[in-house]
Amino acid sequence: MSSGRGRTAGAAVLAVVAIVAWLSVDYFGYELITEIAILAILAMSLDLLVGFAGMVSLGHAAFYGIGAYAIAAFTTMLGWSALPAMGLAVAVSAAAAMIAGAVAVRLGGVFFIMVTLAIGEAVHAYLFKARAFGGDDGLAGIAHLDLSFVGVDLADPRAFAAFALVVAVVAYAVLEMVVRSPFGRLLVAIHQNERRARALGCRVERVKLGAFTLAGALAGLAGTLTAQHTGFISPELLVWTISGEALIVVIVGGMGSLVGPAAGAAVIVLAKHWVSDWTNYWMLCMGAAFIAVVVLAPNGLYASLRRLHRAAR
Amino acid sequence: MLLDPTFLAIQALNALQLASLLFLLSVGLSVVFGLMNFINLAHGTLYMVGAYLGLVAVRETGSFWLALALAPLGVAVVGAVLHLVLLRHMQRASPMRQVLVTFGLIYVGLDLVRMIWGNYSHGIDPPAAFAGSVQILGETYPAYRLLVICIGAAVLAVLALTLERTRLGAVVRAGVDDRETASAIGLNIDLAFFGVFCLGCALAGLAGVVAAPVLSIHPGMDMSVLVLTLIVVVVGGPGSLLGAVLGSLLVGFVETFGQVLVPEYASMLLYALMALVLILRPGGLVPTRRVVRA
Repeated sequence: MSSGRGRTAGAAVLAVVAIVAWLSVDYFGYELITEIAILAILAMSLDLLVGFAGMVSLGHAAFYGIGAYAIAAFTTMLGWSALPAMGLAVAVSAAAAMIAGAVAVRLGGVFFIMVTLAIGEAVHAYLFKARAFGGDDGLAGIAHLDLSFVGVDLADPRAFAAFALVVAVVAYAVLEMVVRSPFGRLLVAIHQNERRARALGCRVERVKLGAFTLAGALAGLAGTLTAQHTGFISPELLVWTISGEALIVVIVGGMGSLVGPAAGAAVIVLAKHWVSDWTNYWMLCMGAAFIAVVVLAPNGLYASLRRLHRAAR
Repeated sequence: MLLDPTFLAIQALNALQLASLLFLLSVGLSVVFGLMNFINLAHGTLYMVGAYLGLVAVRETGSFWLALALAPLGVAVVGAVLHLVLLRHMQRASPMRQVLVTFGLIYVGLDLVRMIWGNYSHGIDPPAAFAGSVQILGETYPAYRLLVICIGAAVLAVLALTLERTRLGAVVRAGVDDRETASAIGLNIDLAFFGVFCLGCALAGLAGVVAAPVLSIHPGMDMSVLVLTLIVVVVGGPGSLLGAVLGSLLVGFVETFGQVLVPEYASMLLYALMALVLILRPGGLVPTRRVVRA
């Protein structure tokens, strides 16, 4: 588990790097920054579960996808404007997470992994066949949030990249507040010794369900950004590889550090584009690298960097 | 449609065939879970590897029956190597890390299969003796599918006898029941675990070959099967043969009839089944011990 001060310093460094990157890149760079920001939100929300609460979920993409589908359905089918659609889409993701979590949080460890993986695949299989939501073709024509009242046009990739970064910072701030709150302490206590927490009168299932719901809501938020970014959604957003990638980002970046997964998101997105330039076998590289990290550096890059930092002093 | 006996009979046979495959896949996974609280997420990958090895064996030898014997052996060797090189060293560290390593193996396996055999689908012809079809209530039904059901039943019979009547079976049952005590009285649970793990891999490979003439062989065939298998383990309750049998039958029937009657909601139906079982019986239909909160 990381210290709050260490995380804040790390977050400040990441924010500076992100601003410098935003100022210095070209069109393709904005695409990458947006992708990184979205994956960072997804990974940080998963870190609340994996790193702090000790709940390793392999179905997180379900809520990411539900957020994206909800904003798409509200804007294209009901004709809502993007702002209420985005807000309600996040609420829909939270509700879905609460329903799924009601069963899943009763289970521990390996059982939880299996059930969340099954939930993710069930939602994917449903949306793949659901004619109401376009089946495997998905839905297109999702509008951007209208920020013209502050003079920002989100159709501009440069503006959207900045917007995604701001949302990622807000998501980080929310999560940081949560893990520092008494609720966050309870999560860590349950992770460290669930029986003791229960014996002390903590309502373990309720606390876990709260974390699962919040993580689902933030994953849904990331989903609404993706839908606006590409203007298009399909069941591809909910494939197990997305859940897996988010988990890999969390573990490679460093569980329970929030900024580790955010940095891990940047590493994965950049590595993916770089590796894809010279081979078609990105998954082989990522899988092998992930296994190496789990075997050799189970606490992730964040812990390794901190150790280096301490050794240097 | 629901009351038409022919329709019911045909779909029930299809369900039994799926249950038979799921049983082959889930039994090893379930007993290993019962022994070590470890789940191999790359089990679907081993199933896929089994199908591809079967494809190679059929092409090289021209005999389906030889492939049926060779491919499971090959997959068992792959499993044994994975266990000795990678998984064994993490057994003490934490079951979670072990599971994560097997998750990484899914990605590696998928790309390796694409690298070796390409991205398209392959098929295996059923053996000549079962290439035809039989008449069931006036409807033609592929004979091979009946063979699939028989293979599942035969494996079940052999496993049940082994588990109940042999020393190895007794060691495994003792280990699932209470690993510490079993170790303390001198039983080599690690060895039993390794044996069951390799057997589970071989059965996954067998399922791959058996499924090949019915379903197509393609990269990605691993995931759909893995999820169904995990649901079987969760629903049946890990660690017991009976649990794997009941889970396979339940999932086989719900999935088959769901896909035919309400295709859009079939996946949700399966999830609802799992949720219902978990709410009513958190340890699965045949709970063995307190694995749930471990």
